[in-house]
Amino acid sequence: MTFTISRRSLGLALAATVALTGIPAMAQDTWQPEGPVRILMHTKPGGTADIFIRTLAATLEPAIGQPLVVENLPGAGGANQMNQIRRAEPDGLTLGINTVSHFTGMLTNLKGVFAPDNFSWIAAAQIDPILLFSSTESDIDTIEDLVALAKERGDGVVNIGGFGPVGSMQHIGISMFEKSAGIKLNWVAFEATPDILTALLGGHVDVGVSNLGPTLPFFESDRLEALAILGPDRLESLPDTPTVNEAGYPVNTDWVQVRGLFGPADMDPALQTQIADAFQLAMQAESYQDYAAKSGVETPDMGPEDYSAFVQQLMTVAEENLREQNLLN
Amino acid sequence: MFENLALGFAAFGDPYVWLGLLVGALAGYLIGAIPGLGPSLGVALLIPFTYGMDPVVAIVMLVALYAAAEYGGAITAVLINTPGTAAAVATAWDGYPLTRQGKAGIALNLSIIGSGIGILVSSMLLVVTAIPLSELALNFGPGEYFALAVVGLSLVSGLSEGSVLKGAIAMGLGLALATVGLDTQTGIPRFAYNPEFFEGFPLVPVLLGLYALSEVLFMLEDGPTQKIKSQPITGILAVPFSVYWKLRGHLVRSSLLGYVIGVIPGAGASIASFMSYIIAKKTSKEPEKFGKGSYEGLVASETANNAAVSGAMAPLLALGIPGSATTAVLIGALMIQGIQPGPLLFTRNPEIPYSIFASLFIGVPVMIVIGLAGARLWAQVANIPRPAIAAIVATICLIGAYASSNSIFPVFIMTAFGIIGYVLRKAKIPLAPIILALVLGDMMETNFRRAMVISRGSYDIFYTHPLTLVLLVVAVLAFVVPLVNDLRARRRA
Repeated sequence: MTFTISRRSLGLALAATVALTGIPAMAQDTWQPEGPVRILMHTKPGGTADIFIRTLAATLEPAIGQPLVVENLPGAGGANQMNQIRRAEPDGLTLGINTVSHFTGMLTNLKGVFAPDNFSWIAAAQIDPILLFSSTESDIDTIEDLVALAKERGDGVVNIGGFGPVGSMQHIGISMFEKSAGIKLNWVAFEATPDILTALLGGHVDVGVSNLGPTLPFFESDRLEALAILGPDRLESLPDTPTVNEAGYPVNTDWVQVRGLFGPADMDPALQTQIADAFQLAMQAESYQDYAAKSGVETPDMGPEDYSAFVQQLMTVAEENLREQNLLN
Repeated sequence: MFENLALGFAAFGDPYVWLGLLVGALAGYLIGAIPGLGPSLGVALLIPFTYGMDPVVAIVMLVALYAAAEYGGAITAVLINTPGTAAAVATAWDGYPLTRQGKAGIALNLSIIGSGIGILVSSMLLVVTAIPLSELALNFGPGEYFALAVVGLSLVSGLSEGSVLKGAIAMGLGLALATVGLDTQTGIPRFAYNPEFFEGFPLVPVLLGLYALSEVLFMLEDGPTQKIKSQPITGILAVPFSVYWKLRGHLVRSSLLGYVIGVIPGAGASIASFMSYIIAKKTSKEPEKFGKGSYEGLVASETANNAAVSGAMAPLLALGIPGSATTAVLIGALMIQGIQPGPLLFTRNPEIPYSIFASLFIGVPVMIVIGLAGARLWAQVANIPRPAIAAIVATICLIGAYASSNSIFPVFIMTAFGIIGYVLRKAKIPLAPIILALVLGDMMETNFRRAMVISRGSYDIFYTHPLTLVLLVVAVLAFVVPLVNDLRARRRA
């Protein structure tokens, strides 16, 4: 908490400098929005991305001296949000949070409506790897058990519950694992993560896939057990759970859920860097780090250049996989 | 458990907890009364104000808001035929006719008392059964959800006034509308030529159009001639106790039904109120009064939709699984407070579930006082000249539709459905089956498809699971029994 206090006093000092001299001191380095900053969400209130930005707002607001106004624009597969951001002024006062679904959308449903060039990709705020898990009551206790069972029962027999239809972020991740392990699971699409957990606890599907946050309480209470992580590293909260690569089923570990910050095209690169820095600094606060640890998300340090490159890479991986599954027309 | 419950009530030794309860109940009452907002948006709107609060104060405030907002929806449903949420639709069916008869005050009093009893009875059940019933609800898989939706649709016959054919047309229309949007298993757009249609027809604008805007068109047609004088409400106890006593069966049954349906994640308040209304009609001695201002129909709907609030709390507290859209937002609010809902909540943070129990009990009298006091004022709305009411309702429809997702698309949907609603009512096609089919159609199709994916194309899944089989048999009986009775009656005649 000492951090936020020092940020706040820094902000005050800055404001004082501006007021006294009329010269915006340190304008090159620090983001000083001229008005309230609108953060547009493509989801309804209460989702993972929504909780992220509302938690961050608590530390970011005092640092930039302006309120963050979170607006939920659900619907149209993210198009409502993307539309408003595309036509906003590139002044940093209208920003949005994106997930991988923005990229898979631009390759499928929203192809020709939006393209990555329509936006500025400012920073990656969260990396949230997905993981495979099963009910503790099932016979599947390890990732090897799952692969063995899938081979024994044959292609497309073992059910896996995941978020989103065929071609969604999680489905692509699972397909990469299936290819590497030489198995084929039966994808059962759900529209909300809690529905996957209830289906698994009730024995309606065999395994599930999700990000860590919603599943963590079920691991702690021994209702569910983690099998493997589809990401580059093990997770702090699950030190004994291997990554799929460690388990011997190598996949491209860059395919992770990401929550990033984006804005309209043609934003000044200097402004983008300032915004990215302000977010990065706010994310170092203790209260935010507490929340991040609980939710099992990593806080990457990716500014405009790194994130734009990362976006390009995600687009390439997504396109390859969607093509392989004949989901591109 | 009782020590813990005492702990929950002890939280109310803190004046800030009382303040939270009052603010939540008042805010919820007003937010619920604004069509297009409603409980889940209301809770989300208040979350930023809870950042610096003590977790117990925050959660008490938000739960009070949830319960009060679920009631608040009844106000506009009763007064101006404008249900702001699907759960208040069945309240409008008898509430609005009562207003047209000059009984707005009585209708509002009945609905607030019904809501209060619904919460009270269901909260007692919640304290005792939250954990075991939530575990039982896990048995509901895709097959069971599909069967539950079919049961709901099979009861439509109870909602069609007169012509069976017109009821069937309305249901078919609702089911057809429910197919619009992205296919949930393959992600392929269906009848969605524009991304705006990806998530299908948004429910709130459709409701506002079909019910409220079409009513405005009728008011315009009738002109300013009609004038109904509302019976003044003399006091908060204007409705004699004997009226409630006669309704006791409906109050208790609707509370139980609302609670149980609320516990099943994914069912919730709207299905609870529809089912409760239909069952009340089937069991009533005066079924012909339903839809024309029946006290029984009004309390059946309003009691059940509030009982579903406690029901939805059960899986949230016992397992950390949201039973409704609003409880999903509540999970977010708890996480921002640093509390992780899940199977360990009762062990790690017992103060949270038990202060929620306590706040539901203490919140009921607070809500009833606010509601009864408010009813006297609201009842005056019925005395506003009809041309002015028409203008106000039209404005509320436009604003409510816009506010439902901060965009203009729902406003177009609302307007289109206003005209459709007017035409359908002129043709004497009932609106209720459309709404029921729109709500249940999505649940039915998604779960049917999901069940078929799980069973790899085999229909076995629908009769090898006992629970699914029982529900489907109930649905078949609900279709066949009225038909057989009808045929018998004709043969005799």
